[in-house]
Amino acid sequence: MAVATQGASSGINSQNTRTLLRVSILFLIAAAAVASRLFSVIRFESIIHEFDPWFNFRATKYLVANGFYKFWDWFDDRTWHPLGRVTGGTLYPGLMVTSGVIYHALRALTVPVDIRNICVLLAPAFSGLTAYAAYLLTNEMTTSSSAGLLAAAFMGITPGYISRSVAGSYDNEAIAIFLLVFTFYLWIKALKLGSMLWGALCALFYGYMVASWGGYAFITCLLPLHAFVLIGMGRFSNRLYVSYTTWYALGTIASMQIPFVGFLPVKTSEHMPALGIFGLVQLVGLLQYVRSSMSAKQFKTFVITVLVGAVGIGLAGLVGLTSLGYIAPWSGRFYSLWDTGYAKIHIPIIASVSEHQPTAWPAFFFDLNMLIWLFPAGVYLLFQDLRDEHVFVVVYALFGSYFAGVMVRLMLTLTPIVCVSAAIAASQILDTYLSAKKPNPEEVTDAGSTDAKPAKTSGLRVSSKPAVGIFTFISKALVVGGMVVYLLMFVSHCTWVTSNAYSSPSVVLASRMPDGSQHIIDDYREAYQWLRQNTKEDAKIMSWWDYGYQIGGMADRPTLVDNNTWNNTHIATVGKAMSSSEEVSYPIMRQHEVDYVLVVFGGLLGYSGDDINKFLWMVRIAEGIWPEEVKERNFFTSRGEYRVDAEATDTMKNSLMYKMSYYNYHSLFPAGQTVDRVRGARLPDQGPVLNTIEEAYTTENWIIRIYKVKDLDNVGRDLAAAASFDRGQKKKASKKKGPRVLRVD
Amino acid sequence: MKPSTIATALLGLVCSAFASSQRSTVKLPADFKPPQVFKNANLVHIISLEKNYVKEQVNVLIENTAAEPQEDYFLPFTADQLKRVGGFEVKDRKDGGAGPFTVDVVNYDSASSTQYYRIRLPAPLKSGGQQTLGITFYYLSAYRPLPASIPQEATQYLSYEFSPYAQSAYPTLKQKTEVKAASATIPDFTKVEGNGDVAEFPQKQGSKLTYGPFGEKPAGASLPASVRFEFNKPVTHISELERDIEVSHWGGNVAFEERYVLHHQGANLSSQFNRVKWAQSQYFNPASHALKEMRFPLQVGSVDTYFTDTIGNVSTSRFRSNKREALLELKPRYPIFGGWKYPFTIGWNSNAANFVRKTATGGFVFKAPFLEGPKQAEGVEYENINVRVLLPEGAENVKLLADVPESSIVETTVDVHKTYLDTIGRTAVTIKARNLVDEFKDRDLIIYYEVPSAMTLRKPLVIFASFLTVYAAAWAIGKVEVGFGQK
Repeated sequence: MAVATQGASSGINSQNTRTLLRVSILFLIAAAAVASRLFSVIRFESIIHEFDPWFNFRATKYLVANGFYKFWDWFDDRTWHPLGRVTGGTLYPGLMVTSGVIYHALRALTVPVDIRNICVLLAPAFSGLTAYAAYLLTNEMTTSSSAGLLAAAFMGITPGYISRSVAGSYDNEAIAIFLLVFTFYLWIKALKLGSMLWGALCALFYGYMVASWGGYAFITCLLPLHAFVLIGMGRFSNRLYVSYTTWYALGTIASMQIPFVGFLPVKTSEHMPALGIFGLVQLVGLLQYVRSSMSAKQFKTFVITVLVGAVGIGLAGLVGLTSLGYIAPWSGRFYSLWDTGYAKIHIPIIASVSEHQPTAWPAFFFDLNMLIWLFPAGVYLLFQDLRDEHVFVVVYALFGSYFAGVMVRLMLTLTPIVCVSAAIAASQILDTYLSAKKPNPEEVTDAGSTDAKPAKTSGLRVSSKPAVGIFTFISKALVVGGMVVYLLMFVSHCTWVTSNAYSSPSVVLASRMPDGSQHIIDDYREAYQWLRQNTKEDAKIMSWWDYGYQIGGMADRPTLVDNNTWNNTHIATVGKAMSSSEEVSYPIMRQHEVDYVLVVFGGLLGYSGDDINKFLWMVRIAEGIWPEEVKERNFFTSRGEYRVDAEATDTMKNSLMYKMSYYNYHSLFPAGQTVDRVRGARLPDQGPVLNTIEEAYTTENWIIRIYKVKDLDNVGRDLAAAASFDRGQKKKASKKKGPRVLRVD
Repeated sequence: MKPSTIATALLGLVCSAFASSQRSTVKLPADFKPPQVFKNANLVHIISLEKNYVKEQVNVLIENTAAEPQEDYFLPFTADQLKRVGGFEVKDRKDGGAGPFTVDVVNYDSASSTQYYRIRLPAPLKSGGQQTLGITFYYLSAYRPLPASIPQEATQYLSYEFSPYAQSAYPTLKQKTEVKAASATIPDFTKVEGNGDVAEFPQKQGSKLTYGPFGEKPAGASLPASVRFEFNKPVTHISELERDIEVSHWGGNVAFEERYVLHHQGANLSSQFNRVKWAQSQYFNPASHALKEMRFPLQVGSVDTYFTDTIGNVSTSRFRSNKREALLELKPRYPIFGGWKYPFTIGWNSNAANFVRKTATGGFVFKAPFLEGPKQAEGVEYENINVRVLLPEGAENVKLLADVPESSIVETTVDVHKTYLDTIGRTAVTIKARNLVDEFKDRDLIIYYEVPSAMTLRKPLVIFASFLTVYAAAWAIGKVEVGFGQK
């Protein structure tokens, strides 16, 4: 692509032709960005992926069906039973409102499009816009005509961004990354021009960003940081003053319109840097003004007084308000950004999510491929000509890299700047080596002698020498050829990663038949559809929180806990019910009016993402609240192994989760050959016995097992006695174990 | 049939179609009683329990006992039966070309436990004259599983209540009732006192029970009886079928979409579903009362089939298409047992040439089956059917003929539906019907309509004009100077 532009720009000088070329290249990039995200739609179907998107999809359907105001006031009594959730006030509505607007616009044009298809295709559509935003942002950084287009192409297909924006990945990030990049572009534009209009636009898009994603805090912290660094570098200017104050004032007001954010911008520590820099900018502005009308000596005293006074009052105010509780201190999620071990100890629920783990280093190469080594080169190139906007890239690069190293999912915020910097580096190479003109040796010496900026070259002498060009064709061909090979490898890598790693809906599993044809394993939807059609409308389903959103979205049944995880105690209650024995769990389930319990079991198929493998997190989260009743240690054998076979501990074997997973499982196999294919364990021939719940439905491949919680016995026996009577055991046999009492540990 | 003959037939037949857009009923005074002007000289009542609906045939030789010629013959139903009866057709058994019998529901006193269908003979029957009527009708939701809940692998039995004396508003001189069960295993049936040389009715021959012949019975004679027989097949009941047919002249395509709400009305499971037993029974004993699979024979040439439900595509469907057949085989997500429910959607496309013909007069004739649906050995019954045909935008002069019993059609309407960048909207013909069974699968739906050629060109022109407007507006806005800085 760069080759095409380069050739065109040197050969054709007409402005219109260039614009046309540019527009068509950008359209092609957008088309490539959209197309590379459609693997899952083509392979499977137009389906919402994974977990959180199901909630967003359900919320969008609610919005479309009930209108905006109802959505705003939505109290959802079908989740977090019996607490409910003030959904309208605890979500970021940007995504749903965007789809709703698109839906109604298309309906106004009488295009009968299903809301599901809008939701599925929203992320790819916005990725095209993101590519365009990256183009605009890069163009602000460099004058090279190809850098912007390269950045757009990188942004369009880099797996680091595709990972969260494939078709069906209907999550906040789907639109948030576009808003992030575009807000940064507007910020740079405002800063460059010192324009209130651009500052206001920046604030507007910042407001949209706040409405869309919790990651808006990244902008809230990065822009002040940029301003602060500029002030520290002695680069305070009226441009900075105008753009920053405009952005902060309007942006903060805009962000406070979102109920979920509300007064957080003035009440929490995460938002304080922006406020502090706002004050600092005022102060510096004042000093600048005062300096022009005072003698130097007076000014010095004035500066010291004012600085000490302002900083002192500001800090004292902050500390005072924080200790009085008006300003919330840093939240746990924030601490986990600095100490990666923090969450595991203090907030197991955050640590239990795989995307909150620290990034492994191959992930950078996996997600960014060659961009990761072009990235420092690009940042380095920006040092050559360190203008205000380049400082922004440098600051962003530093912080983005740090956060991407701390948490897997924050790779997403790093990706845009990597694309921009890498594009600058790549275009620098291509611009230098692709020039068809042979440099004139006289011009070179001329250029060398007329270099009239000795002060700037002192530190970066080599790099700041004017580009003169390459003489031999061979070196040109070698470098350009090498670059082209890298670019092609990048494309094939991106395609491969997208196709293999990021395009699985995870609701539907694909496998191959012996003859090579695709076989779909659709157990999740089988179970959800069964629940939806054959249980009563308000049957409460207890499951681990991972499946809460899917049950709400696909089975349309009330759940106890879901992926929102706002109430740790409630989740711990479910964890306790799952990890305790039936005598303890049954009262808990009765108290929460549970009708059905749903577990995921991969033993038959070898599906490793099942509940037994997640079980230790349930135990840990429950232990966090009831350390006396649930003990992680008891689930490990004396040799410290986590086992499910005959060697498993009694606590493990008696836990509801274990019983539900393996109930009746042995009857599928001949005696002595019961195998759990996930854990490679040979199970005992005597399966677990259930007294208080009964198997209601098991899917074709046993991935989902649904149990019905039994009602109290008709004749007043306890359920264990009733069940053993039904099994035909004499009373004596059950007496042997002694009377059943609540377990006391 | 040639298109032109269809058209002329239509013009003759259905001009009155929209005059009576409501279900054909006759209003009679509240104290109505059928006048005793007929007697049934001979009557044979055949109750067929072979499918999961009941088909009843009453072949009766009627005789006018009044002095004047008579044309209205009434057939009584209980109020409960009336809700479930459908597909009511009458033929002359002797003379096939006797002309159409008009059948109406009598609307007189909704609280009465006896309701009537009125059969209007094609020509009044003169005093003392005789005519042989072949009356056919169906009962939906007719059975009661007994026992009502059974284990997963047990055999299902259904019971049906009937009267060995055929229902009639007139005295019957001689009659016989035959009950044909689905299988020869009939553990229980009501025995009644014999007549003549037979000591006890019924006589059982394989799966057939014969009651009678009986002597003279007065009008309204009835005898409670029931039969319980083995029926180890699903009792499939479709409570709602919405069938959308979209005719596109520009695309040369007819798109079908059908949305079903399917219930299994057989015996419930006495304990919860057991996957192990189910998987094992698939190997050893595939007969089960659960519904595992459905086959939809589509019109030859159907393409792009899909099978979805509320949460997306169901991957377990197979479509076999060749020159002779187009068979869509569906497996629901889960086996459907008694009391369970499964709503789903299927759809497909077909070439318009297979369905739409142009007539000599410039109009179009559309002909498609009124009902397609699954072809199951045990039968399928439909409670509410809503067929909607979307004709091209601006279609007018719509005339239609639905070749299903008129008493089953509840309502037909023609209105406008806007979709796919329509400006005035497409003509939508909606036909609501009730209580039909899959025996009406191959009945035709024929629609005649005209599309003025100006209408055909309307959409491309509108789209062209709107794009032109957008470009012009964009150009004009681009020309506006918004900044106030110096250039």
